[in-house]
Amino acid sequence: MHDGTCIVLDNGGANCKIGLAGQRQPLLVFPNATGKAKGERTVYVGDQLLEDRDLSSLALRRPLERGYLVNEEVERAVWGRAFKAVLPRGAPASDCGLLLTEPLLNLPAIQDSTAQMVFEDFGFASLLATPAPPLALAAWAAEAPAPACALNRAAAGLVVDAGFSFMHAAPVLGGRVLGGGVRRVNLGGKALTNYLKELVSYRSVNMMEETALVDAIKEAACFVSGDMAADLTAARAGGHRLEYVLPNGVTNLRGYVRQPGAPAPASAADTPEQVLVLGNERFMVPELAFRPSDIGVAQGGIAQAAAEAAAAVHPDLRPAMLANVIVVGGLARCPGFVARLQAELRPLVPDECEVAVHMPADPMLAAWQGGSQLAASPEYARRAVTRAEYEERGACFLAA
Amino acid sequence: MAVVSDAERTQAATARLAALEDDDFAAVADAGADNSDDDFLVDLGTDDEPELGESAPRKRRKSRGGGAAGRGPKRKTRAMLEAERRGPRTFAGLLEETESASLEEGGPPPPAYTAAAVGPQVGAATRRWCSVCGFAAPYRCVRCGSRFCTRKCYGVHTETRCLKFVG
Repeated sequence: MHDGTCIVLDNGGANCKIGLAGQRQPLLVFPNATGKAKGERTVYVGDQLLEDRDLSSLALRRPLERGYLVNEEVERAVWGRAFKAVLPRGAPASDCGLLLTEPLLNLPAIQDSTAQMVFEDFGFASLLATPAPPLALAAWAAEAPAPACALNRAAAGLVVDAGFSFMHAAPVLGGRVLGGGVRRVNLGGKALTNYLKELVSYRSVNMMEETALVDAIKEAACFVSGDMAADLTAARAGGHRLEYVLPNGVTNLRGYVRQPGAPAPASAADTPEQVLVLGNERFMVPELAFRPSDIGVAQGGIAQAAAEAAAAVHPDLRPAMLANVIVVGGLARCPGFVARLQAELRPLVPDECEVAVHMPADPMLAAWQGGSQLAASPEYARRAVTRAEYEERGACFLAA
Repeated sequence: MAVVSDAERTQAATARLAALEDDDFAAVADAGADNSDDDFLVDLGTDDEPELGESAPRKRRKSRGGGAAGRGPKRKTRAMLEAERRGPRTFAGLLEETESASLEEGGPPPPAYTAAAVGPQVGAATRRWCSVCGFAAPYRCVRCGSRFCTRKCYGVHTETRCLKFVG
């Protein structure tokens, strides 16, 4: 068994979060993708995409499809660069452990090829591939102040992971996901971005090739409506109007939200700026997370997923789960998400159960932080698989 | 008057949903011939050629039902490289593969992936939104079935979108 450092990697569909075990924050957070600008041959990998550069017409290629690691060549390039940056100087990967998050209900073929990549291509000493929800729950329990209830918050909880590729509601008990209770909505942040892209391209400015920019607009402008009818009425009367100044490629590379009534910048005279006006798109897009049926997906929303997940566990566990609903993932940062989930979940579950929805301080990094705790604890050595074991038995152990 | 059939409407709706999961890479790849798959790959500069000898053992293991232990990497033949160029792994393909393997005698249990999907919306009617402006849409285009809310939006719809999706 190794006793060296351990790298913690939360391999999300949108962003890789990578750092060293025991630390509180990841060292690097960067897009899990390679990108290529139109008409150029240079390929930017992972954190290179974050450098200050023109995002226009940047085509991203992602190794994960629907949340599952499918394109290994791209992933190998992204990981290779990240490991090189994170590994302490002089330390070879063969002295290092790796804690890797894997999607819930992973397919054996994918586990197989992931383990192969970790051990044979990168040569890590040990690997612990674990689903993210227990980690997120542990991280939240660690950051919350003294529990108000008698319940141990790390022990049982319902983790709602509103991620980039899909949204999951996963009941967690004693550090393990209750597999039979996992419910998934086949929509995530990526679908929302693409939907917003489709809407604005039809209604105002064609941005079909500007996914990265639309993603930034979504994060800056979108919110979850607390009262659809009122917000729609307000939007019709011109409320919720927001102007997003599009990048001009010279002085303004990412674009920004212009506050209504703010004076135009002094340079506006010589470089006319292009403005995208957003109205009801601001809340109609995140609305899909709660009502996928709005665009014809034959599924209930995230609140229904949480209710179904709670209904699938043992009745005695249900109150504990519902009193401890943790929202993580990038979509959780959308303003109003937590309040809306609380409001929608309440009527869907038995009324004698208390419903409390919480969000960790940084919902995007919660899984990584929990992973960092786990990797620093003796628990890691107990659960991880060493290279010797892998070479002896192949990758079939991971399913166990 | 040309009317879009139900089958074509379903097909268009499915295609639209599938497009929501697309990366924009595909669009760019179609646009220019120089955008081959390999452009997105970078040379890692490691001494043990990472690209070769990777998928060979995986394929062999899969064909034996996942039971065999890993052997040393094997060089790919030209035919294997060609096969890989033709069809990259897709999630749908892998899922199907796992499912069919589980149907055979003695295979692994079926993946829980399909069973974990949330069921249809309960307790609320489907809401209809205008395909042009996004507000509540009581009306439906008689030719293509898209929703619209006012005469004005219907005008925009017929000029821009109506019947376009069936080419």
